[in-house]
Amino acid sequence: MPTLRQTILFLVFSLTVSTATAQYYSGDHQFDGENKNEVSASVTTGRNIITGPAIGNTLHYKHYFNNHWSVDGGINLQYTKGLYGYKAKGEYHIQVLSFHIFASGEYMFNHYHSYNTNENVGNMSLRFERGYWDITLGGSLIGYNMMGDHYTEPLTLTFGAHATLRPRTNDWNVGLLFRNYDDFYYENWNINWGLDFYYRFNPKLKLFGEFNVRPAGSMSQLASKYETTGKVGLIYRWK
Amino acid sequence: MEITMKKTISYSLITAALLAISISFTSCEKVSPTGVLIGNTSVDDRVKQSLTNYTYIGDNMDFDLVDSIQEYSFLVGSDSHITFDPGRLEEMIRIGIENDDLFYCHLGDIVDTKPEYYYNTKLSLYDASRLWKAKYLRQIINEYYSEEIGIYIDKRIKNTSRDSYRTWENWDLPFHPVVGNHDITHNGWSLFCDLFKTSFYEFTVTIGGQYDRFIFLDSANGTLGNFQIERIEEKALRDDYKEIRNTFVFTHTNIFRPALNEFASTYCREELYYILNKLSEWNTTIAFWGHVHAWDDRMFGEVRHITMPSMNFVDHPDGGDDLLVRVTVKKNGDAIVEPVGLHCKQRSKEELENEGYLTSTQ
Repeated sequence: MPTLRQTILFLVFSLTVSTATAQYYSGDHQFDGENKNEVSASVTTGRNIITGPAIGNTLHYKHYFNNHWSVDGGINLQYTKGLYGYKAKGEYHIQVLSFHIFASGEYMFNHYHSYNTNENVGNMSLRFERGYWDITLGGSLIGYNMMGDHYTEPLTLTFGAHATLRPRTNDWNVGLLFRNYDDFYYENWNINWGLDFYYRFNPKLKLFGEFNVRPAGSMSQLASKYETTGKVGLIYRWK
Repeated sequence: MEITMKKTISYSLITAALLAISISFTSCEKVSPTGVLIGNTSVDDRVKQSLTNYTYIGDNMDFDLVDSIQEYSFLVGSDSHITFDPGRLEEMIRIGIENDDLFYCHLGDIVDTKPEYYYNTKLSLYDASRLWKAKYLRQIINEYYSEEIGIYIDKRIKNTSRDSYRTWENWDLPFHPVVGNHDITHNGWSLFCDLFKTSFYEFTVTIGGQYDRFIFLDSANGTLGNFQIERIEEKALRDDYKEIRNTFVFTHTNIFRPALNEFASTYCREELYYILNKLSEWNTTIAFWGHVHAWDDRMFGEVRHITMPSMNFVDHPDGGDDLLVRVTVKKNGDAIVEPVGLHCKQRSKEELENEGYLTSTQ
């Protein structure tokens, strides 16, 4: 479906054009030079047409070895969905000119209790960041086991774009995003649209949140309601 | 600070405008820019309307075959995307009539949404219906039904209920489609519904005292939707089966992506797993999928999944040997699948006009 590829390329192009001015950047996803540990906890609530009302928690821990390397682990407990998962991620960061580039590899496991399904996901992605935006491109291998059988989907393109109203160094921000993944799932062409925000109380503590609309179908398939969720949490950093 | 803010806002507006333009570039003429994001009809509304129509036509869909018939077959096609020339659909029905296939199933994206295309399709199905009636209907003349009343029965069906006695006009070609995403753009549902009535229904074939069940689901928006799922869980269509031999399920949006470069969207995660579980719960023999225009045939669990190629002129201008499948259900219940070719070429404007078809938009 070449029209989809054209859309992605056009979007990447348009985002690049829209921010092709000098920006400064100190980073929010990278080592700040002092605090090597970071933990975040959040509450998610919303509604899904399959599983009904949803409420759950996620917990992440991230460790920065230096300005280049970090590792990250997380757990996801969606009580009403009966969805339980964990993931582990390693990331390498490098700065090229004014671009910050993050290369990551991730493994994720999800257990969909209501459907007796275990899902294994491997992902490798590149994220390009500047002060007001970031884009992610990568690939995911998604496999699932149920009913005594196993299926691994063909390699799935992972893509995402995120733009913010203020630079990342600001103490508050509001952004818009679209992507075919979230913290604990990777989809095919089912795109998740969202609005996110944060407020930084001090260099160690930050409030963050997201509002996500996850339609079923995409592009010519005429999106229909699938899931809406809200997430709010805190991030704490320490030495 | 103020200048930076203004720049940010203006860049954001430019980005939004470029995004809107890029989305409209991706849409073919059948898809409006707003339609890309929000469907003109929701799956919930379509299913509600389908159930209302199904209440009136559901009993007419069943086949209770006469005892002399030991096995039967049906044809399945997908993604015909008919524009002015419904030739491939005509060929499918002609093949079915020649082979005595019992009925026809279509997996959606039947007609690209324009009234003129639907006019031609309706004309084509009307002609095909006349051929079908001429072959299978027999007029009943007895003390209750005079020749003038004009009551007909299908020679292959037991005449055990009032529904099996109908006037010529009340018999319809047994063409059973589901709705696809291209069927619902530009208020296409009203055109689809006018011609095909329903997108969520089921019927049975009774043969030798055994039941085979055929379930048709609306997944044109990439989801079954909340209302349809609730109806499925409530067994809204039928709940009176004693023993089902085979269950066949038909819907548009595919579960399995046949290859890396097949970008058509599938179901979101929980729904994908829900559907696979539901197919297993129904003891489905074969589930048929369309949408992705590519062939795939695999077993998953105990269910055979067949994803159909498209049968349209754009993807296959010269036709192909496997654009349809015929499923033959044997006396012992085995379902045998064989490919069926379509080879007709797209007709010229002059040829279509000579046969009474429209050839331009009004």
